[in-house]
This record gives sequence, structure tokens and C-alpha cells, in this order.
Amino acid sequence: MFLTRSEYDRGVNTFSPEGRLFQVEYAIEAIKLGSTAIGICTSEGVVLAVEKRITSPLMEPTTIEKIVEVDKHIGCAVSGLMADSRTMIDRARIECQNHWFVYNERMSVESVAQAVSNLAIQFGDSDDDGGAMSRPFGVAILFAGCDEKGPQLFHMDPSGTFVQVDAKAIGSGSEGAQQSLQEAYHKSMTLKEALIAVLTILKQVMEEKLSSTNVEVMTMTPGQLFHMFSKDEVEEVIKDIA
Amino acid sequence: MAVNSLAAYNTYGGPKSIPFVPYADNGGSVVAIAGDDYVLVASDTRLSSGFSIYTREQSKLFRLSDTTVLGCSGCWCDTLTLARILEARLQMYLHEHNKPMSTPAVAQMLCTMLYYKRFFPYYVSNVLAGLDEEGKGCVYSYDPIGYCQQTKFKASGSSGALLQPLLDNQIGYQNMENVTPEPICMEKAMAILKDTFISAAERDIYTGDSIFINIITKDGIQEEKFTLRRD
Amino acid sequence: MSIMSYNGGAVLAMKGKNCVAIAADKRFGIQAQTLALDFQKIFEMGPHLFIGLPGLATDTQTVHQRLRFRLNLYELKENRHIHPKTFAAMVSNLLYERRFGPYFVEPIVAGLDPKTFEPFICSMDLIGCPNMPEDFIVAGTCTEQLYGMCEALWEPNLEPDDLFETISQALINAVDRDAISGWGAVVHIIEKDKITTKTLKTRMD
Repeated sequence: MFLTRSEYDRGVNTFSPEGRLFQVEYAIEAIKLGSTAIGICTSEGVVLAVEKRITSPLMEPTTIEKIVEVDKHIGCAVSGLMADSRTMIDRARIECQNHWFVYNERMSVESVAQAVSNLAIQFGDSDDDGGAMSRPFGVAILFAGCDEKGPQLFHMDPSGTFVQVDAKAIGSGSEGAQQSLQEAYHKSMTLKEALIAVLTILKQVMEEKLSSTNVEVMTMTPGQLFHMFSKDEVEEVIKDIA
Repeated sequence: MAVNSLAAYNTYGGPKSIPFVPYADNGGSVVAIAGDDYVLVASDTRLSSGFSIYTREQSKLFRLSDTTVLGCSGCWCDTLTLARILEARLQMYLHEHNKPMSTPAVAQMLCTMLYYKRFFPYYVSNVLAGLDEEGKGCVYSYDPIGYCQQTKFKASGSSGALLQPLLDNQIGYQNMENVTPEPICMEKAMAILKDTFISAAERDIYTGDSIFINIITKDGIQEEKFTLRRD
Repeated sequence: MSIMSYNGGAVLAMKGKNCVAIAADKRFGIQAQTLALDFQKIFEMGPHLFIGLPGLATDTQTVHQRLRFRLNLYELKENRHIHPKTFAAMVSNLLYERRFGPYFVEPIVAGLDPKTFEPFICSMDLIGCPNMPEDFIVAGTCTEQLYGMCEALWEPNLEPDDLFETISQALINAVDRDAISGWGAVVHIIEKDKITTKTLKTRMD
């Protein structure tokens, strides 16, 4: 992609003469190595599903956690460098709890995305804020949440840019998955339909065979809020799409 | 003491210490009454220190948003600082979250703001009045270090002790027999509110001159003035 | 904590139309600890004469007994009932004798003139400075609350029944906002030809 290698792809805070920050662009590329994560936002709620790459049969699949609860009303799916994602999820959780502590209300999904975005762009030389991250975070995140505006889905990339989306795929299979999502998504989708769509698309883009051990599924609904699917619940849905 | 006051007997009595007195009590009273779809909050307008009156027309109410008003009494300089910081925090919230802050959120924030100065507090009694997300009237009262309780009515400040039992009786229906407690209408609340201040002005030298009343409804905030005795 | 609020308690008196009322709570405690719910703070000193002695409980009783002693001597000597105004002067005098080591009570005298049946109320500080207003007097640990209540509820020329209601509401609602007063109350309504004594139930916390 970047045929002209130059000095400018080294410093994270140096623009190239064409006005690009190569390190950030490379970080965005890094996401494409990560496992696929898909989210769909419907009027009934949000669905997130991710593939778990089980690289060895000796691995314990339940220890791979790619969908996490940030607060009762916000869940995240991550793709990219898992270690980096921990830092960002930690920040999201802290911001949520701090907001609850100060205002005694649930933080809106957009505000959480904004707060994490602030962390994402704090790379470069260390400054007054203390030791900064020396490079961009190699993580893309899908924020699924329910607040006073109803169910919402946000996507954020390593540059800290975040946008609200109806449906989004990130990770290695994202290009194909995004195409399929565009075909499958419609405004009046039910949660059930979204759930099936998400897993069907995930199945298409996954290298391994889709099973209840190598996917994680979560729903975010106004009634139940964050709900992580158990193995049995996942199997129940997979049965329908097989 | 008598001996020491004669210059000839003045002896060196060790290092002299001047006590650090960072607070003043500038008096003032605030009363708030919440109804089903309105809330009244009023403060007197006398600002005083000891036996002298600084001004007879200083409102102690701060309009924080279209649905929230704060009433303060105590150390006036702390009141001003607190109100300004609150105003800034509300503005920051508006920008960060793209929505105005709800009254319960302001209430909780004020509580944490006060507690963060637990060991050098703002010397202010706060009463926060406003409409909650459902449009119901609510009143929050505080101590200077951040204790917060939600109530239906509250009298605080220099006449707090005089007025609170009256509100308990007239609005809370305490010790009333053969009456069914029912939410009071705005006209009655207004009448009681004025009566309480008239009573307070009789006995409390830090309360008087006039009162400012803020009437908060879903249509906005109306202001009214009412004259009290000025002696 | 001030010695005046060691035991707690509240007394108030009000003028009505041809009648006076005096009321007090019934608590006796040591600081926050309540010990009794039947402590007498108001004493009948004559046919139309009552005195309330809120303050330090031991002095309540001592001052009452010393006043009874002086009053008995007065009545034996004069062979007539004392005028409330004279009695108030007697109380004031007794207290001022202890100007530099006072009894810790703030007496409230309420009564009717033995001849004209004119209402009379008088309050004093602990060294006997008298105060005789036209409306009501309050003393004890919740004077602020009592002033607030009385200022709003009292009006001139109350009939005995209305006066009873007014003084009761004023006292009860005031002591409910004081941690060391309450636990029941007693009210005396003094009229020309009858004295009505009522006990009030209040919240007991």
C-alpha cells in the first residue's frame, strides 16, 4: 500500500509531506489482522458477535474475551491488539463509573466513545499529562449501548475517530462482512433477525467452522441491558442458521 | 487582663498568635417547596454581617438551568465561588454530553463538589430546587460538606430552625388529625412560603427586607418579589 | 454543650381572650440519652397561676421548691393569693440573688389576675431579667423552632379551644425538630372559672 517508504513513517507525530501520519495508518492496518467482530443496531437493541481464534487445541477458549461489559448499559467488542484493548476498556469503565459517581446517572454511549477517543489520540511524546503512549493503540472498538436516545452502536478506529453506525464489521474479515451487512441490513430489522444476520455473516467470513466455542455473542436491549450469551444460548442460535 | 492593659505593666507574654478565620456568616434564608408539577424556591434579600446590613437587595438564588435553581446561604464569598464553579461545570457538561444537565445530576454533582472540599469546606447551606426528568418538582438540601437528601420541602439558612417545623406541619401534615395528606397546590404553597418569611423576619435579624421567589414549571422560571419588614 | 441544654426540654405560654395557656414537653434526659417520659416542668403555684421551669432538671426542682417556700410565707403573711405580677417579681428576685452562680432555669410564668382575671405571661432569663410581651413566650432547647411556629400560628384574642389547638401545634411541631425535647407534652388552659389540663401524644423518637 505504501510503496514509497520514507523517514516519515517512523515518528508518530510527524506528518508526511502529503499530510499523512503513517503510524496511525499502519495501526489501522493492524486491525485488519485481528479477528472479525460484527455489530448491528436495531430499534429493539444492539447485537455484537466476534470470532475467537483458537490457535491451538491446548488453549482454553473461555479465556479469550473479546466482548466485554463496560457498564450495565454499555458493551464493547474489540479487534486488534488485545493488550491495548485492555487499557482502553479500563478507561471506558473508569469514565462510566466516574460519571455515575459525579452525576448519579448512566453515561451516554457517545460520551463513552468520546472519552475513549481522548485516550486513543494521546500518543506521541510524553507531556504534562504524564507518560503518554508511545504509539497509537492498535485496536478498533464497537461500542454497543442503550441510553436515553435508545440503542446505539459506535465504531472507533486507532486514530480515535468515532462514528455512529447502523451496522459495522471490523477485523480481518471486515471487508467481506461489511459488504454482506449492507445487503442484510434494513431499518425495520428485529433483534432476532439481526442476531441471525450477524452470525450468518460471521460464519461466511470465518476460516474455521462456526461453533459455540469460537464465537462470542452479546445483546444490548433497553430491558435486559448487557447480556452475554451462554454456550447453550449460542448453540440455540447457531442451530437456526446451519 | 486588667493589669496587662496598663502600659507600665506590659510584659512579653510569648509569641502572639492571630487566629485564622477564613469564614464569615452573612445570614440569609432559603425556603423551597416542591409540588407535583412545579417547585417554588425563595430567598430573602438581606446580606448582613453581625449587626450591620451590607445590602437589602441581594438575591441568593442562582439559576443554573431552565429547570434548576440553587439557593444558598452562609458565607457569601463561598456562595459566589461555588455558584460560579457550578455554572462552569454545567457548561462543560453541556459541551461534553450535548444535553443540559438534569436536576438529579446537578444534585449529585453538587454533593461530590462539596465533599471534595471536606477538610476546608464551602461554608454554605445549599438548597437545590428543580424539576426532574419526569417534570416533577424536587428539592435537595445539603450540609456544607456534601450530605444530600431529597425532600418535598426545606427551610435552610439563618431561619432554617424557625421555619422547618412550620413546613413540617403545614406542608408535611405532621401532627395533623383528621386530614388526608394530599399534594398542595401552587397557590397554597405560595401563601405558606410568604407566611414563613414574614414569621422569620419577625424574629431573625439576618432575614428581612424582601424575598425573591422563583416559580419553576415546565414552561420555564418565573420570578416574583415580595416585601418584608426592613428593620 | 451548654449546661442549659444538658437535660433538654421546652416550655411556652400564650395569651388568649380572657385565658392563658402554658405547655411543656415531658422528657427528662442526660444529653442524648432519654431517661424519663413524665418529667414535670410546669408547676401550679396558685388557683390561676403556673410556672414553667425549663433548663437544668435539678434546678427545675430546686427552684420550684424554693419558690413554693417563699410563696407559702407570702400567703401566710399576706393571707391572700399572690398576683402573677408579684409572683414574677418574686421569681426574678430569687434568681438575681444568685447573680454570679445562677440556677440554670429560664422560668415562664403564666396566670390570671386574681381580681380582674386579666391574662398575664412573663418569661425570664436565668438571672431573672423579666420580659412581658403581649403575645407568647418561649423557653428551653428549641426556642428557635418555637418562635417560628408561634410567630406563624398565634393571633390575638384566641378563645380557649383555639388557644389550646394553637399552643399544642406550636409545641409539638417544634419539639419534633429538637432531639432533646418531646416524648409527650402537657398543656394547661387557665380560664376564669376552670383550668383544663391535657396531655398530648407526640412522636416518641
